Amino acid sequence: MINAAIDLLLGAQNEDGGWGAVKGKRSNTESTSFVLMALKSLEGNPFDRQTTAGLKWLLQRQKDDGSWSLSDASKQSSWTTPIAALALLSFQDQREHALRAAKWILTQEGRKPGWVATLLFRLSLLKKITELDPYLSGWSWTAGAFSWVEPTSYSLMTLKKLKRSLDGTNCEERIRQGEMLIYDRMCENGGWNYGNSRVLGEALWPYPDVTAVALIALQDQAMSETNQKSLRALDAMLREAGSGTALGWGILCLTLYKQDVQEWKKILVKNFEKTRFLGEIKAVALALLAFGNGASLFRV
Amino acid sequence: MMNRREFIKVSAVASLSSLGGGCRPSVRWDRDAYRKPATSRVAILEARSYQTSLEDIIRYGIHLFKLDLKGKRIVLKPNLVEFDPKGVINTHPAVIEAAIASFRSLGAREVVVAEGPGHRRDNEYLLTASGIYDVINEHRVRYVDLNTDDVRRTKLRSSFTNLSELYLPETLFNADLLVSMPKLKTHHWAGVTLSLKNMFGVVPGSVYGWPKNALHWAGIHRSILDINSSLPIPQFAIVDGIVGMEGNGPLQGQAKQSGVLILGDDLVAVDATAARLMKIEPRKIDYLEIADRFLGNISHERIVLVGEQLERFQQDYRVIENFQELKVLTG
Repeated sequence: MINAAIDLLLGAQNEDGGWGAVKGKRSNTESTSFVLMALKSLEGNPFDRQTTAGLKWLLQRQKDDGSWSLSDASKQSSWTTPIAALALLSFQDQREHALRAAKWILTQEGRKPGWVATLLFRLSLLKKITELDPYLSGWSWTAGAFSWVEPTSYSLMTLKKLKRSLDGTNCEERIRQGEMLIYDRMCENGGWNYGNSRVLGEALWPYPDVTAVALIALQDQAMSETNQKSLRALDAMLREAGSGTALGWGILCLTLYKQDVQEWKKILVKNFEKTRFLGEIKAVALALLAFGNGASLFRV
Repeated sequence: MMNRREFIKVSAVASLSSLGGGCRPSVRWDRDAYRKPATSRVAILEARSYQTSLEDIIRYGIHLFKLDLKGKRIVLKPNLVEFDPKGVINTHPAVIEAAIASFRSLGAREVVVAEGPGHRRDNEYLLTASGIYDVINEHRVRYVDLNTDDVRRTKLRSSFTNLSELYLPETLFNADLLVSMPKLKTHHWAGVTLSLKNMFGVVPGSVYGWPKNALHWAGIHRSILDINSSLPIPQFAIVDGIVGMEGNGPLQGQAKQSGVLILGDDLVAVDATAARLMKIEPRKIDYLEIADRFLGNISHERIVLVGEQLERFQQDYRVIENFQELKVLTG
């Protein structure tokens, strides 16, 4: 599987050095970042030329404020910024770029309800719709929107990796708030979906990929009861969802939580043979990261 | 107990719904861009089960509208927002399969299946679990994840939201016809989710997130209007009403056997008819009521039904308590 996955990734690299969501699509920050991490995780990094071109694509697109947009087609700074920072942290000499990204991340915050909603919330009308705490501070997918689990998790991973270099900022407090938000959004039996545990009184179900991403962001509290509960939920979900994205994130997470992942790796290989993960660049990159030493890139 | 409009407003400020109740603009669309037809045709076709010969039914339905499909690229946009093995959330793969075969047999150059799921990012899981992967694999159809497709900035042709522009997937610009293929469902924020609401799925998650929350902040009803009024290519609708969903849709409602497919080239008229099939008054759905002013027809006097009689398939679809007033049909 490893060789086939590498071939798929290298064959999909665009002339500009980056990668798109699938072969033939325009280069974007998320795909390029995951492929860079995947290539860096390979022993001896045998694809130096391709990695250098990808790194150049990424560095050239960092904005003055430290952020990245999604792709050249979109100008606004995006949720992909912490992922790009994580990719740069896999290179020994790119820490300064990652640090600029982290400073931008600290300037961002998901939208909170205004005074009308606050009033309604206090009167308990909103609680009937959802049961989340809308005042917790996390990160959104796009500027001016609500905070959700996945962008908050990516931001936490980056900030936790760089917090020692962020003295004099509100980094520790934002991390604490972000963690509270993620725990607040946890589903009834553990695990996370996009960020709603309950709507109109009905419990919603968790997703394996988001659960793994959230648990990676919360790995420094690995032994807490809530994390362990979600870890069990992840295990159960992976038995049903055999996609490259779910298994890739799942294996990375379980590795960081010191679980045995051999069985999951076998399933990953088997399922890659079946679907080639639809040729999705991120899924294939995650599979490579999961199969090799990729987990270390996500250790906080 | 909150009534529907209070409920919608409350939902909006929670960022999870719309400002539909306050959506009463004067003229918020480019008058030159729309020519609402004097009348619209909608086909109601019996399809008792997913084991019926759906290809014959859909091909007959498309034929009724005399679409010129020769050499055209068709994008089928099913509803694949989520997956629940015990639920009936998604457009059934058999309907998608039949649509692929029908459009091909009627001369389409290429048929593409495309969706941008609103909650889950994991397409491979959704496609394999729902059975759609087997269909696209067997028929060698290209699938496009509209959430991660290349995007193009598009100026809105209406201004119900304050967005002024939207990013839309390139796949739409490179096609000739966009076929909305929703499931016949009630919806706990919008009242109903049909061919117009299904177009939320063409808006890329990579720009607007999962869920497409920036649109929720802008208002679900308003966003439905702005998206549908700004699509770059003509549209057609095939509603999977063989088994619909009532109650707490779009995810957690109950299955409802209706045995029907609804087709048409005026999506507003299709949705109004589908709402009536569920015994829901289309004029009480804010986005439909406003769409009637410029995008299409909802008045039954202006909708010519072909195929079966509406009354034959009309059933009482339960709605959540806050939406009870939608159930009073006015004509």
